[in-house]
Amino acid sequence: MTQPSQSPIMGHTLRRVAFFLLVTLTTLIALGLMASAFHSNGFSPMELLLLLLYAILFSWICVSFWTAFMGFIAILLGRDRWAISRQPGTPPDFTGPPGRTAILMPIYNEDSERVFAGLRAIHQSLADTGQLADFDFFILSDTRDPDVWVEEELRWQDMVRALDGKGRIFYRNRPENISRKSGNLEDFCTRWGGHYRYMIVLDADSLMQGATLVDMVRLMEHHPRVALIQTPPIPVNRESLFARILQFASSIYGRMFTAGLNYWQLGESNYWGHNAIIRIQPFLDHCGLPKLPGREPFGGDILSHDFVEAALLRRAGWEVWLAYDLEGSYEEIPPTLIDYAKRDRRWCQGNLQHLRLAFSRGFNALSRLHFLMGVMSYAASPLWLLFLIATGVEAFIQAQQRPVYFFGDNWIPVWPVSFAVEMTTVLLVTLTMLFLPKLLALLLLLKDRRLLRAYGGIVGASLSVALETAFSVLTAPVLMLFQTKFVLAILMRRAVGWPPQQRGDRMTSFREAALTHGIQTGIGIVAGFLSYCYVPAFFWWFTPVLLGLALAIPVSILSSSIALGQQARNLGLFLTPEECDPPDVLRYLEDGLREGDPVLPALRGAPVNRFIQALTDPYVNALHRSLLPEREPPSKRRRHYLEGLIHQLEEEGPDSLSSAQKRELIADPETLLRLHALFWSRAPVNAELLT
Amino acid sequence: MDRSKVSAAPPYLPHSATAPATPSITQLHSRLQTYWRALGVSDPDQAAALAEQALRRASELPETPELDPAARTILAAGELLDDWLAQALKLPRPSPELAAARAALLSGAAPDWPAALFAPPGMAEAALETLRSAVAEPTPVASPGLMPAQRIELFSLF
Repeated sequence: MTQPSQSPIMGHTLRRVAFFLLVTLTTLIALGLMASAFHSNGFSPMELLLLLLYAILFSWICVSFWTAFMGFIAILLGRDRWAISRQPGTPPDFTGPPGRTAILMPIYNEDSERVFAGLRAIHQSLADTGQLADFDFFILSDTRDPDVWVEEELRWQDMVRALDGKGRIFYRNRPENISRKSGNLEDFCTRWGGHYRYMIVLDADSLMQGATLVDMVRLMEHHPRVALIQTPPIPVNRESLFARILQFASSIYGRMFTAGLNYWQLGESNYWGHNAIIRIQPFLDHCGLPKLPGREPFGGDILSHDFVEAALLRRAGWEVWLAYDLEGSYEEIPPTLIDYAKRDRRWCQGNLQHLRLAFSRGFNALSRLHFLMGVMSYAASPLWLLFLIATGVEAFIQAQQRPVYFFGDNWIPVWPVSFAVEMTTVLLVTLTMLFLPKLLALLLLLKDRRLLRAYGGIVGASLSVALETAFSVLTAPVLMLFQTKFVLAILMRRAVGWPPQQRGDRMTSFREAALTHGIQTGIGIVAGFLSYCYVPAFFWWFTPVLLGLALAIPVSILSSSIALGQQARNLGLFLTPEECDPPDVLRYLEDGLREGDPVLPALRGAPVNRFIQALTDPYVNALHRSLLPEREPPSKRRRHYLEGLIHQLEEEGPDSLSSAQKRELIADPETLLRLHALFWSRAPVNAELLT
Repeated sequence: MDRSKVSAAPPYLPHSATAPATPSITQLHSRLQTYWRALGVSDPDQAAALAEQALRRASELPETPELDPAARTILAAGELLDDWLAQALKLPRPSPELAAARAALLSGAAPDWPAALFAPPGMAEAALETLRSAVAEPTPVASPGLMPAQRIELFSLF
């Protein structure tokens, strides 16, 4: 007997109503407790400000808590009937041509060796599935650095040769990187998108198991109303202590949060920019991004394009899903606290830009919420800082007031009412909301022995959670100050550039740490001194924040240590399943980086200056010239400009040219040929440059 | 401004101090042979013969004031190579395919390329086929689509 199927729409609505009801009720209860403590003598302006800030910040914590809790329930029960992977969908149409998929890797001045080793690992993993023929690979370069550009071309050719990938593995470098990554993808879609039904968008440090790629296509084929499926990328491969702690946290807590997000968002989920599959036709039809009116940072190109693209697809009636239970999706994270903050700086501007979009016409409610959540992920920091300052000021004001026991002629003393119970409850509720998800994640491990072993057993996992909690408490105030600075800088209209991300492991030097965290340490010491002198009772409550700031420099240096990261691993701390039993694609990457022997002679031997190699080496010169796009002959003025650069190179050498000037020289085929001839007709001062 | 400091360093790509402004035929010949060897011609006699051809071709090239005779001979060598490639692989010139074919040739895909290019018609098809298959294909043929910019009306609650 079959059970009558419940209406999915009704189920979706119920889940959302339950979620928002829980968030609202919890916020109201906590707010009521706090208000009752303040209300004894009426509300002062400072107390009203505190209540307002608390309401915003607590509701933000509640969203996170209830998401994690719902994820906990979903994983505990072991099934989510409305997850995209659980829905049978409709069988694909076998009469039409099979849908081909393009795997896209947009890159910008990245470490080419790692980029191509990653792609090869994905290629090999896909080959293992036997479905390689259904996929093409595109390396979509926006690289401006001339040395990296030439290196990419050589690595691409090497990959094509080694994997017999002609006609399947493609490369192009855009002459102008208009609209950054979104423009890069748009360029692909408008030029070659017609060949493919789907595209899987990767990031430079993305890794995906072949089987996962095949599953993503299968899900799309069975769900023709779905335009985008996002997989949750798990951070892997970093060795520094900082990165290993983050990898552990993302791995153990992340699955609960993504399950929770899927639980209440379902087909109105979000896009995180990579490790996702997209149906190309709706993307072409609905995701052309306009420039926002006004100038940067709030106008101009839409920086965090992914949220907007998901919202546009939803606006057009397409479904966007988070396949929380699809494993085999990985990424690499910044290796140090400073690099992490630098990445935040880039993302912050894009997310704050969403404030303008959240109230735009036509987007559905959940898309608006995604925009606001993106804004809050950075705006929360200045709000927390303001809340802490306001709390300190309020505590100081309270400390200055002497209690009055006798009013007028009344000889019976009126004892001040204590609100310690209410305030302690507020604090406990807040701490519970913050830290309970960590315990729930630990509890979930007990359900799966294999997983528990992979996280280092119950002792190792518990100790890791405790240490990770302590570490996050120490680093939270530092990140709060970083993000506050970024938000203020952006509000003052100081735009960010588009610096490439530092991806490899490296140790933070004392100088770098002191320069970056010096002011934060100073703020911590001054705030500690002031609170200790003037509001000693507040000082002790404030110590976790003060300690984090005062120790910012040593924590930043020590946590960047690869040796400490490895030692922690040897002690069984911060272990993840991917570390204990690496999936194929990670092993292929490691093997490729360790043993990868290039096919092309130009890539063998000691590293050389690729710009010089493009001028001197006949093969590299010819390859680079063959990859230049066809364009109009340069104008007379431009020819004179290039002529000047050639003379500068002849007389003063390559070091006298800027990176942009070098790029201009090797972007013009005639100039490239002429410089090649010049080099071979004379002996350069430094003959080694020719080798 | 201290003019004595200007150009104090030697130029990065100097004309040879001992050589006259216009290099002799022997010097050009020698540089051309070196260049042919860099292009993969291992036989010294063949390199010498090809250098001779490049010298003749250089004299046919149109005058370019910005290029000195030595650089013109190197360009002429490249022109010759493109001629042979275009003929052997039946490629239009100039064309992106020809540039890609030159890259394939120099990548080592056809180790003894002079034998393949200079063989009588039909005698080196296997080598030419290897060369054709080594020609890079950076992008597929275009399949253009339109991606119109979407309209987003900002700050409108209602």
